Amino acid sequence: QNLVKELVALSTRDRIHAIRDLPISLDEKKHIRWVLMGKQLKFIRFLLLSQSFRRCGYSISSARQSLELWQGIMKEIGGKFGSSVLIYFVFLKWLLMFNIFSFLVNFGFITIPLLVYNPFSSIPPNVSFRGLEILSGAGYFQHTVLYYGGYSNETLHVLADYNMQLAYFFTIAVYMLLCGITLIFSMDSSFKKNYVLADPTSNSAWQLLCSWDFSITNERAVRQRKNNLRVQLKESLSEKAQRELLTLSEKLKHFGVYLGSWLLSTGLAVGCGASIYYLYAANWSLLQEAETLLVPFVVSLMNLVVPLFYSLFNKFEPYSSQRRQIYALVVRNVFLKMSILAVLCYYWMNVVAKKFSCWESVVGQALYRLVIVDFLFLMLGSFFGEFLSNVIGTRLLPRLGVPEFDVARNVLELIYAQTLAWIGIYFSPLLPAIQIFKFLILFYLKKVSLIQNCQPPRRTGRAAQMQTIFIALLFFPFFVGALSMVAYTAWSLTPSEQCGPFRGLNSTFSVVGVWIDDLEEIAGSQWAVWIYQHVIRSEIFYFLISLIIIVIMYIFWQVTQGRKQLIGLLRQQIVNVSVFGKISLKC
Amino acid sequence: MGTTASQLGKDLLSEYQELTFLTKQEILLAHKRFTELLTKDEKDLPNTRVPVERILTLPELKSNPFRKRICHVFSTSEYKDGSLTFEDFLDLLSAFSDSATMEIKSHYAFRIFDFDDDGTLDCGDLEKLVNCLTGETDDTRLTTEEMRQLISNILEESDIDKDGTVNLSEFQHVISRSPDFVSSFKIVL
Repeated sequence: QNLVKELVALSTRDRIHAIRDLPISLDEKKHIRWVLMGKQLKFIRFLLLSQSFRRCGYSISSARQSLELWQGIMKEIGGKFGSSVLIYFVFLKWLLMFNIFSFLVNFGFITIPLLVYNPFSSIPPNVSFRGLEILSGAGYFQHTVLYYGGYSNETLHVLADYNMQLAYFFTIAVYMLLCGITLIFSMDSSFKKNYVLADPTSNSAWQLLCSWDFSITNERAVRQRKNNLRVQLKESLSEKAQRELLTLSEKLKHFGVYLGSWLLSTGLAVGCGASIYYLYAANWSLLQEAETLLVPFVVSLMNLVVPLFYSLFNKFEPYSSQRRQIYALVVRNVFLKMSILAVLCYYWMNVVAKKFSCWESVVGQALYRLVIVDFLFLMLGSFFGEFLSNVIGTRLLPRLGVPEFDVARNVLELIYAQTLAWIGIYFSPLLPAIQIFKFLILFYLKKVSLIQNCQPPRRTGRAAQMQTIFIALLFFPFFVGALSMVAYTAWSLTPSEQCGPFRGLNSTFSVVGVWIDDLEEIAGSQWAVWIYQHVIRSEIFYFLISLIIIVIMYIFWQVTQGRKQLIGLLRQQIVNVSVFGKISLKC
Repeated sequence: MGTTASQLGKDLLSEYQELTFLTKQEILLAHKRFTELLTKDEKDLPNTRVPVERILTLPELKSNPFRKRICHVFSTSEYKDGSLTFEDFLDLLSAFSDSATMEIKSHYAFRIFDFDDDGTLDCGDLEKLVNCLTGETDDTRLTTEEMRQLISNILEESDIDKDGTVNLSEFQHVISRSPDFVSSFKIVL
């Protein structure tokens, strides 16, 4: 057979994969394999050796799989609730990995050298640990390595000369860079798989039919899905008819409603931002520990309540498709969170930086408080959102029914929490530890809440597209915003004089300049100095790079257009060939 | 070769690992679940074939609208009655596993949806497919007019050579544009 000849030509590993990929029964595969082994009698000893290697490989990979975190729970959730709810948990696990990596890197490169060198430095004798510090982050914690202020600027002499300034700067810079690269790559692969191939305009019947979830085992869930699929199919049939039926006055009315609700939601977001600014500006005179919790409390309250208003607006607006409804909701929530974060960052960088002596630690504390209060509110939100909705839906107002798990809102909350951590890494290097703790508890909490209170989603959601959008949102605007804030702080703001690893310098970035000056005296590292002066500091380099990238993008775009034309021509050719085939058969 | 004892031999296990997309734990779990379906005498026979009614008592297949078609497609019995041996069962799980390729899944999906087994999806197959997924009883079905419209939409979208049926290549082409397919065409024990 031709198949056997092809398979003989491949290497052993490729051959195994090729046999596995054949869509035939196990019996036939075994037969093919036996035939192939028959042709290779001379290499029997080699075969046995390679077989034992392969078995080793399999046992290693199965051991690795059993170590993977939460495999069993994810399969259970995916089986009961489908893949769109699973996105939330996969996203949570992915963000947890980011935080674990960050914590390990920060702890290893920044904190451990300091702890080894000087364990209990600079804690004033009259400050002791009281319980309230866990919430407010000030007091005892202020002088520990939790915040920027606890780090020294000396060169530590532990085994070798360890420059704390460079360590701090480069650890955080490299971590942010790696995060950015990871996000770009996952965005890219996700985009390629889920957007470019899928036809974005079609709410087509095939998509609906082929997205039937085979892993649902619950009888009632299956019946519900069938109902929903029927409703969706009917909607997709009538959608095409309905689009031409709107009269001009109806279109104007719709437009007016859209405009009104967009203005209202934008106004709400801006209003929230402004009120936080005034609250902050008025409150810094009182530095009692309990009152510093007021701002984070208000921020989290707004993040909890205002999206509910947005959902309410959504119900009144006439949207043509459910997807547009979700997109509008997501955009408004993103705008709200970005405006709150922007106001906070602006306040920190312009007012706090000039007002306090050890301002980075103050900003670190503020972020710590935001993270902790956000965590408390997430737990409360889970209680109110899911538990109470379930109680109301089943006992008090049976018309509402059991609630569904709102994936979009929960993922946005995760993204917001992660942004806080990313902003906070510069000011409080051990903040990822708290984030890890928070995410671990959140995972189990949401899992229990999901299983007890929610039902599987009624609509077969476009899980893959939503995942792409969420990753894209995580990157821009949230990660880019955090990165720019940290970059602005490092570039333009003067580090505080009394504390922290960068005291005495004009800006954080000048650490690199000082290092390069030192390097110039060491022979053999002239190339590093040259790269720094002529590549990183010169503007022409960046200009040329941007130009080259734009040209490459233009070339790729033209290639894509050409290929689209080719696809159209080939389709026409297929139709012609089949018609020609039929005609020639008749003749 | 078949499974006689209640334990799978190491050789057989590694062979199954190589020829299917399943991991060792999944194969062992499948073996355990399969032997639970056997009666006491059948456990000692090699290569037992379990009739389709007993296969359909598995909770993963019980509520699946395509359960009979799935058993029929993966069955290697000469009577075409949908009965499965352990190796057929492994084939089934392998095609529905996490790591199976898009080609395998779309191939088997095509065979499952091809209700009359003629190698193409024509209007009759598509009608049965839609009815399977929307409802069996009269008040839950689509009306004739809606069905006609739906089938013509489907054919317009996927029938590239305009011959009125969807063959395997066209089906695979339209599936490749649906990124949710791979993650929803999954059955895990």
